Amino acid sequence: MSTKTQPEIIDDLAGILREFEDREYSGHIGPETQFFGDLGFASIDAVILGEKLEVYYGQKIPFNKFLAQLMQSGAEDLEVGQLAAFLEAELGRHHKP
Amino acid sequence: MPRLSLDSLTLHYQQTGDGPDVVLVHAFTGNLAVWAFSGIMEALESEFRVTAYDLRGHGASSVPPAGYNSAQMADDFRRMHDALGLRPAYVVGHSYGGVVAMHAAVLHPEKVAGVILSDTYFPGLRDLEPDMGQTDIWREMQEQFLAVGEEIGNSVDFSRLFQIVRRLTPEQMQGIKRQMGAAGARWLAQAGQLADTTAGEEMFEVAGLTRERLCEIRQPVLALYDEHSPFKATCRFLIENLPNCRADIVPGAKHFAPVECAETFNDMVRSQLRQWREE
Repeated sequence: MSTKTQPEIIDDLAGILREFEDREYSGHIGPETQFFGDLGFASIDAVILGEKLEVYYGQKIPFNKFLAQLMQSGAEDLEVGQLAAFLEAELGRHHKP
Repeated sequence: MPRLSLDSLTLHYQQTGDGPDVVLVHAFTGNLAVWAFSGIMEALESEFRVTAYDLRGHGASSVPPAGYNSAQMADDFRRMHDALGLRPAYVVGHSYGGVVAMHAAVLHPEKVAGVILSDTYFPGLRDLEPDMGQTDIWREMQEQFLAVGEEIGNSVDFSRLFQIVRRLTPEQMQGIKRQMGAAGARWLAQAGQLADTTAGEEMFEVAGLTRERLCEIRQPVLALYDEHSPFKATCRFLIENLPNCRADIVPGAKHFAPVECAETFNDMVRSQLRQWREE
């Protein structure tokens, strides 16, 4: 797999989120979209998203660790752009020889 | 997605790490996200094999119409333990997850090496605790629902609460979420999931986990109760009456130590697990 840019990853995420767990979300999904506030995610949805991302990208992704660090730092929500930045770094890390 | 098919029941779980088995059991109306958000899986995975699962009706597990008392949940634990081929496990249970852990220790002692309780209320010890409706947690929720015109009642009635949550308008939902804050909003988004089940009544059933049976639990038990716990009398009872139980207090916590005080909680759990592993 080649590494991906953040805009490409945001497109990936938008595709995954459009048909996420029977959720119907028709609004625009961009870097500022909030998972909990805008998309109405419940806590378990975040966990499921992490599992789906591993399947989608075909590699282990330390998503729970990312979530835990975010929550323990006092963050109230997670934005699509933040997740894309994390994924860009992870996918790039995996790709390095 | 990691799922276990157990006859008609599907349990969602996650597993990480290597070493002696640790199983994490979330609270009533919670799910395994609590352990993902708290970082405990990462805190333990270098020394233990950690399994977290969603109880029936919770998170991404299936939602059967009935079977929610702790005896049934302990049987689900047994089936999950068998299906994953776990060794005798140290079981960490938050709130109602602790009831499940202790009931599994009674019914399936060969599967439970020790139990760490986090602020657990036991239906079998209900005479020790004042009316649950007077706890800060319920009273706060009462006010939050009243602010959008919904009355959840003075006594703890989850069935009624689930019905109310399910028929909230989007505006009411937003109003309550704003008051509850981020963690409460994430909880509320899924709290209606049990509305078509008997879980609200069944979780308060003694289901055989009586005072006497609790007092027979010989596995080591660490009772971690929160500094501002509504269930301090339960904690005292456990130390005084169980053959192999000690207690510790999680400073600052108000019933949700695994997320309210994650770092401290994780350290306390890890140091107890290390000690048990060495024994």
